[in-house]
Amino acid sequence: MADFNVNVRGVGSVNVIELNGYLDAHTAPMLESTFNKLIEENNFRVVVNFETLNYISSAGLGVFMAYVETMRDNKGDIKFSNMQDNVYNIFDLLGFPMLYEFFKDESEAVEKFNEQGLNK
Amino acid sequence: MLLTDHNSVQRNLSALVDFSNLINSTLDIEFTLNNLLLTCFGKFHTTKGLVALTDGNNELKVIASKGFSDKVKNSFPKVNAAEIENCKELKKFLDEFNLPICREIKSSNKTIGVLILGERLVNRKFDNDDNEFINTLLSIAATAIDNSIGVKKLKTLNRELDSKVNQLSSLFDLSKEFSGILEIEMVGKLLVYSIIGQMLVSRYAVLTCDENSNCTILDSKFDYKLLDKALTEYSASQLTEVVKGKKLQEDFPSFSNLGVELLVPMIIKGKSKGIILLGPRISLQTYSRSDIEFVSSVGSLAIISIENAKLFKETVEKQRMEKDLELARNIQRNLLPNKIPKLKSFEIAAFNESARQVGGDYYDVIKLNDGKTLVAIADVSGKGVQAALMMANLQAFLKSISKQNIPLDEATNLINDLVSENTVMGNFITFFWAVLNEKEKKVTFVNAGHNPPLLIRNGEIKKMKKGGMILGVMETTIPYEATNIIVESDDTIILFTDGVTEAMNKLNQEYTDERFEELLKRNYSKSADELLKTIRHDVLEFTQNAEQSDDLTALVIKVL
Repeated sequence: MADFNVNVRGVGSVNVIELNGYLDAHTAPMLESTFNKLIEENNFRVVVNFETLNYISSAGLGVFMAYVETMRDNKGDIKFSNMQDNVYNIFDLLGFPMLYEFFKDESEAVEKFNEQGLNK
Repeated sequence: MLLTDHNSVQRNLSALVDFSNLINSTLDIEFTLNNLLLTCFGKFHTTKGLVALTDGNNELKVIASKGFSDKVKNSFPKVNAAEIENCKELKKFLDEFNLPICREIKSSNKTIGVLILGERLVNRKFDNDDNEFINTLLSIAATAIDNSIGVKKLKTLNRELDSKVNQLSSLFDLSKEFSGILEIEMVGKLLVYSIIGQMLVSRYAVLTCDENSNCTILDSKFDYKLLDKALTEYSASQLTEVVKGKKLQEDFPSFSNLGVELLVPMIIKGKSKGIILLGPRISLQTYSRSDIEFVSSVGSLAIISIENAKLFKETVEKQRMEKDLELARNIQRNLLPNKIPKLKSFEIAAFNESARQVGGDYYDVIKLNDGKTLVAIADVSGKGVQAALMMANLQAFLKSISKQNIPLDEATNLINDLVSENTVMGNFITFFWAVLNEKEKKVTFVNAGHNPPLLIRNGEIKKMKKGGMILGVMETTIPYEATNIIVESDDTIILFTDGVTEAMNKLNQEYTDERFEELLKRNYSKSADELLKTIRHDVLEFTQNAEQSDDLTALVIKVL
């Protein structure tokens, strides 16, 4: 089976999820439990850093759909950053840019949260 | 004059070459049209112009315009490319806004659009030369526009293809995954993630349907209670095809009111084994044929997995039950005596046959001191391991009490108290025991609610009924009563459980007490062994190997 791992680190009030490897139907439950844990701990501001993610399947995409509402209902969000072109193409193909914010760099995404935080 | 002509021709030519170079260097249609307009503006000193191109229905749509307000642009009429010359609305539009030039753009004899230009600022009308120039310009532009449109179409096609490839690779991915999972919940989750990721929906539900077309919710983001209620209105047998849009609103209003926009059944062999319900897409796009195909395909994969998981569960359950029964049979086998003691004045023969389900038949023959022997038969309520364990309890009580040398009636009081204390509500034991006294040729018995054993003397049958209540219902309040019988040689006592007289044949008829008694009357003079064989043979002949739901036990005691 393809390798996949998830790492979470805090950047101020934002949690950054780093994805690595192949996110498919088999590995999706790992990401799921990561989100569950964040929600349990009341962390709703999430940036997903895709820098080292090589592949994503639709089951992987589904995980983001499954959790975005909870995040937004709690004044948070899921934002995406550092996506490789082949991965972005899949998101783009399925219309994700309509729903999610994509950033070139993680720091921009974090910054966006911080701006929103000030306006709150 | 000639020189001016020459100059102007040269200027025209260089403009055309410029234009040609420029627009052929790109496949961007906006860039091409923009330059077409700008070239015209530069050449003719006009400030207004637009280009409209044909769409899929061969209607003209404004693609590029300069110098017009939005209001003017929006008032561009509906024109079919085939009727440009005769279109009154177009003429009206041209007149209203003072647009003298309206020229078709043709590519391989097909009109692909029009170029419309406003008046020249220099107050000179468009002359022949100008018209020639426009024609040349347009024929160059036409090829470029055609190419651009082709490329655009290819791009869309490519994207559609990409999306199809993506769907297929998702399906491929999932087919591998689904086949390995045996937990229904996990399959449901995978199914849901794949669909919401691919379709961009946040409201969904997955239902599974049983043999009777009853649906249960596996996962739902619709209102759970309302969905549950809606499910009572429709049967899975109605839901065998994809339903969406208006038909969904009309035929399944309870789903539609919940926000369901697409219903896709998951079908195996023509039967709906599950349903996928999807709400609106976040993109607000409707579900296309290829979307529905995707949902259907994922559904088909998932439902096979779900069915497999169900079967797996059932098989495991069955195996567990089989093991249970095997265990019960083993317990029972070990509780029954493996050897019947040989006595001087009594001949005893016994047989027991346990049913597949394992009932609670028990018998025992225990030698006491003083030439006495205890014979017991019991039928424990219930089946399987539970009955076997209760039987084990009874055996333990029996063995220990038999060693205490207490009179049989008192011993029965005691055993009932013990059983009552140790049984769960509703369980009981029918029980009969007797002490065979070799010295006195006496039989002392107590019957606690068991099928009365039969005492046959000279062909006459007496039932050994007396004793008291069945064991285990309540603690002893009314003491049990023992009965003494002085036996004679050739007396025969038959102990049995209702498994014998209630043995069933394939027509669901019972063996009956009558048939049993008739048989005994004809054969009582046989030895204990022979008589037992006769009984067995007759019951077997009657049942014709029909599977029995209860154990069969019989003991024959012959007074020698």
